[in-house]
Amino acid sequence: EALDDSEVAGICAAEEVIRYEYHVLYSSSYQVPVLYFRACFLDGRPLTLDEIWKSVHACYQARLLEGPWDTITQQEHPLLGQPFFVLHPCRTNEFMSSILTDSQKQNRHTNYIILWLSIVGPVVGLNLPLSYAQITPEQNTNADSV
Amino acid sequence: MTDDKDVLRDVWFGRIPTCFTLYQDEITEREAEPYYLLLPRISYLTLVTDKVKKHFQKVMKQDEVSEIWFEYEGTPLKWHYPIGLLFDLHASNTALPWCITVHFKNFPEKDLLHCHSKDVIEAHFMACIKEADALKHKSQVINEMQKKDHKQLWMGLQNDKFEQFWAINRKLMEYPPEENGFRYIPFRIYQATTERPFIQKLFRPIASGGQLRTLGDLLKDVCPNAVTPEDGEQKTQVMIHGIEPMLETPIQWLSEHMSYPDNFLHISIIPRPTD
Repeated sequence: EALDDSEVAGICAAEEVIRYEYHVLYSSSYQVPVLYFRACFLDGRPLTLDEIWKSVHACYQARLLEGPWDTITQQEHPLLGQPFFVLHPCRTNEFMSSILTDSQKQNRHTNYIILWLSIVGPVVGLNLPLSYAQITPEQNTNADSV
Repeated sequence: MTDDKDVLRDVWFGRIPTCFTLYQDEITEREAEPYYLLLPRISYLTLVTDKVKKHFQKVMKQDEVSEIWFEYEGTPLKWHYPIGLLFDLHASNTALPWCITVHFKNFPEKDLLHCHSKDVIEAHFMACIKEADALKHKSQVINEMQKKDHKQLWMGLQNDKFEQFWAINRKLMEYPPEENGFRYIPFRIYQATTERPFIQKLFRPIASGGQLRTLGDLLKDVCPNAVTPEDGEQKTQVMIHGIEPMLETPIQWLSEHMSYPDNFLHISIIPRPTD
């Protein structure tokens, strides 16, 4: 059904609350993490792909529209069997490897998941607090449970 | 080999006689007759049911019609699974024709993906092919192809053109002469009894000693509870395209000859009928 102007504004305003659910899965086919997510209004009505699109920040929309492979599509969650939205994983290796090699050259500590999630998350409304990127004295791997 | 090419044709041209009936609670202006159709096993429900939709829309009020969806004995049918897989998984041991119920209302948002246009089916189909090639060839073959080759795979499927499809698909079935098969086999194993929709894992078709691994090896590795103990009675059937291949069949051969057009082996494990 069509989304009228008040509902579009409502996605940002305080009246319309949207609950986002994010899952990080590992694709053994592409050997990279993949972000699955779904969103619904408080009454349980799920957001359509159109509504999800409208909530993607304008600065990301152009980039996503460029390639068919970097777009958001509806997919079946491989463990739950339910419809989720997914950012296609086939370009992940490309953008991750250039960042990782740079980091290694500068001898900087890298946490793959935090790095990856800080790139793809904001596109779909998941903004990681900076505290995730702080290097702890113990350098433990608790961050992997994100 | 002539015999092997025949298998490709038999897989492509497999059909399931189906009877479509409108859900009784749908509001109609007059009674809806059932609609009979031979469904291609290798295709997708929303790709081949335009005539079904038109047939039932004729007896319905215009405003009652929204996205079509299909159900078998209370289970919503996932259009993004190939038709042959849906049949083998849910109805292979029941009498023909396959009786599917057609719905236009109350789309089950929690169970089914939306399919607003043929573009969605094409995107899904191509994504599967791409993933299969990531497994078989680290995406090298699919990425080397031109856009028009990708289009030809889709058009071949959409228009039921075996030669057109295989002119391109044969490249996805090749492997370097120094190897004896693909890097990993694209497969998914489905069991209607489990909550998990399917099992998919990395599996090499060639063992470290160079031997060809078999369907039995795959099952033992990936879902051992489906494979019968030596002395027990076999409680399940392992089905691909409506048949039970011998467990000794090399998985590399199965991947080359009995994959669906999306280049995946979709394998059903179903209860063996007790008769």
